[in-house]
Amino acid sequence: MIGLHDLSRHYGDLRAVDDVSLMIEAGSITSIVGTSGSGKSTLLRLVNRLIEPTSGHVTIDGKDVHGVPAPELRRRIGYVIQDHGLFPHWTVARNIATVPELLGWPKARIRDRVSELLTLLSLDPATIGPRFPHQLSGGQMQRVGVARALAAKPELLLMDEPFGALDPLLRGKAQDDLLAIQQTLGTTIILVTHDMAEAIRLSDKIAVMRAGKVEQYARPSEILSRPASDFVQDLVGEGERAFRYLSLIPLSQLVEPGEASGTPLSRNATAAEALNAMIWQNMEVLPLEDGGRVTRAALLRAGHP
Amino acid sequence: MRYPDRLGSVLAVPLTAAFLLPFAGLKPNRIASAQAEWLHDMVGWPFAVAIAIIAAAPLLKGKARLPLSAFALATWMVVMGYGASGLLEGAAEYARVSPGAGFWLGLVSLALLLTDTLARANPRPLARVGCLLAAFLIGIMTLRLWGDVSIMQEYVARKSAFWAEARRHVGLATGSFAAAVAIGIPMGVLVQRVAKLRAPVMNTLTAIQTIPSIALFGLLILPLGWIGANVPGARNMGIGGIGMAPAFVALFLYALLPIVTNTVAGLHGIPASVAEAARGMGLNPRQRLLRVDIPLALPVILTGARIVLVQNVGLATVGALIGAGGFGTFVFQGLGQTASDLVLLGALPTVALAFAAQVIFDAIIDCLPGRRT
Repeated sequence: MIGLHDLSRHYGDLRAVDDVSLMIEAGSITSIVGTSGSGKSTLLRLVNRLIEPTSGHVTIDGKDVHGVPAPELRRRIGYVIQDHGLFPHWTVARNIATVPELLGWPKARIRDRVSELLTLLSLDPATIGPRFPHQLSGGQMQRVGVARALAAKPELLLMDEPFGALDPLLRGKAQDDLLAIQQTLGTTIILVTHDMAEAIRLSDKIAVMRAGKVEQYARPSEILSRPASDFVQDLVGEGERAFRYLSLIPLSQLVEPGEASGTPLSRNATAAEALNAMIWQNMEVLPLEDGGRVTRAALLRAGHP
Repeated sequence: MRYPDRLGSVLAVPLTAAFLLPFAGLKPNRIASAQAEWLHDMVGWPFAVAIAIIAAAPLLKGKARLPLSAFALATWMVVMGYGASGLLEGAAEYARVSPGAGFWLGLVSLALLLTDTLARANPRPLARVGCLLAAFLIGIMTLRLWGDVSIMQEYVARKSAFWAEARRHVGLATGSFAAAVAIGIPMGVLVQRVAKLRAPVMNTLTAIQTIPSIALFGLLILPLGWIGANVPGARNMGIGGIGMAPAFVALFLYALLPIVTNTVAGLHGIPASVAEAARGMGLNPRQRLLRVDIPLALPVILTGARIVLVQNVGLATVGALIGAGGFGTFVFQGLGQTASDLVLLGALPTVALAFAAQVIFDAIIDCLPGRRT
């Protein structure tokens, strides 16, 4: 459990973060969403003390993070930033080994961990490990940045616009990878983004920030169905609201027994993907790959909370 | 048919002039004025034409330019040596042969051609140092044939003094360089971190840079003389108003500005995301400085260091004026005696030393890890 307790950070008269309290479940993904200047990055950087709070405090598992020196704290918390910040004079392997080296792990253990992480992020340790960052593609650099943050098995991973520099195709892939990795490792993740669609897709809970304050802190379905303010509603985007809501519903919840013709859908697909397929194929009913069917009527009902 | 390229066409002009100007000068003694001697007078027309062909061959564009220009350069040196011996045959006892304007013009043109061709080939750092060594070896070999050329006669007459001054010159230039690097880099780091210090430190260093070297020596005579006279042990360490100490201090002061400026610029050039990541990963301030900031700023710092080293090799010459020794000794002795060959005995090794320092330093910079290729 990560606790932010009455956190404030003021710069003169500017209240970048203004009395924010949040409790974040261990093992969950939480997104902090907001427009530029809403204080979302500042809030994230208060957690690993890259910025010290004007008042309030942060706890991890009940322990105040101010009890240890900041560099020591940061070695226990993974940190991923938009421009990845890889050290250009070190090889990929050495970059990933940064924190284990600081913690004084034995060499053999570091080597094993580096190749384990590269493999986890579908990068070949033998070819990518010895390269320098400038020899990588943007997508590869981003993955190395994630690998470096995960190197010392942190319980908490902070990500500041981690996919902001990627094109839409790579971004979708990176989001899938992050979900898969999170499921494997069970790491608690706090992610800052300005992209509500990304937040809805990835998060267990979303905190919407505006002018240093949290406007709403809730599950994605609730943010969509009951936005706490006009600002949250604007961020959600009224035009795509129903589809976004459907994208949260797994198809398995809407299956009914029976047969149907047409291209079968995967059970892992979302309701939004199923509806899209039906509209495009002009079908009222579609079968599922492993039996059962879904009707358009059921999908339309599900799209209205 | 191959034609000269742009570089070849440009260098054809001074190279042609080299044949039209006197190749050497014959003097009745070492300070008298010279009587001009042309190449064809010294070696005869057939040889002169052959030499012209050898010198013109590398002007043509092509793969053979590198060996051809090296060969032409070596030939040029050898011809001077033999030509001088020929001129001295039957001349008066104290007669001297100095290289003439034509010789120097040809030497510089061919050397430019050679270094430009080498630079275009973009050899690896070690290969460059290898080329430098090879050039020095070939140079020394051809100089063995220069026994009758006035500069070498000046050298032979002062052989032990020459090497003693060489050691002092190198010691003065590299010692003050090392001190400037050792003090300048920490100073640069400090100035970059503490914004308040930046303007006063930079302005002071810039002001020092504007003081002419001789004036700076003069300014240092008083304080260093006082230290030498009053601080116990200082005089035994060689500290005094004149000699090595003021020259060392002056070179050190001149060297500080480029080192400090480049350290600051190098640290400024570190991408914000890299600095942020280093902090976010949990590197403490010392680790950030030593593992990330300095290594990343190093190419820029070393560029400044290179300027300083070359500058120091040149400036150390002036140190001879206040008794610091070095190649400048010969330059100022030669000026005093109006013996131009003696001036060259001081000046030419200085140029060679500065050039060598530059090549070696560039090679070191290129060897740093993570450099873009």
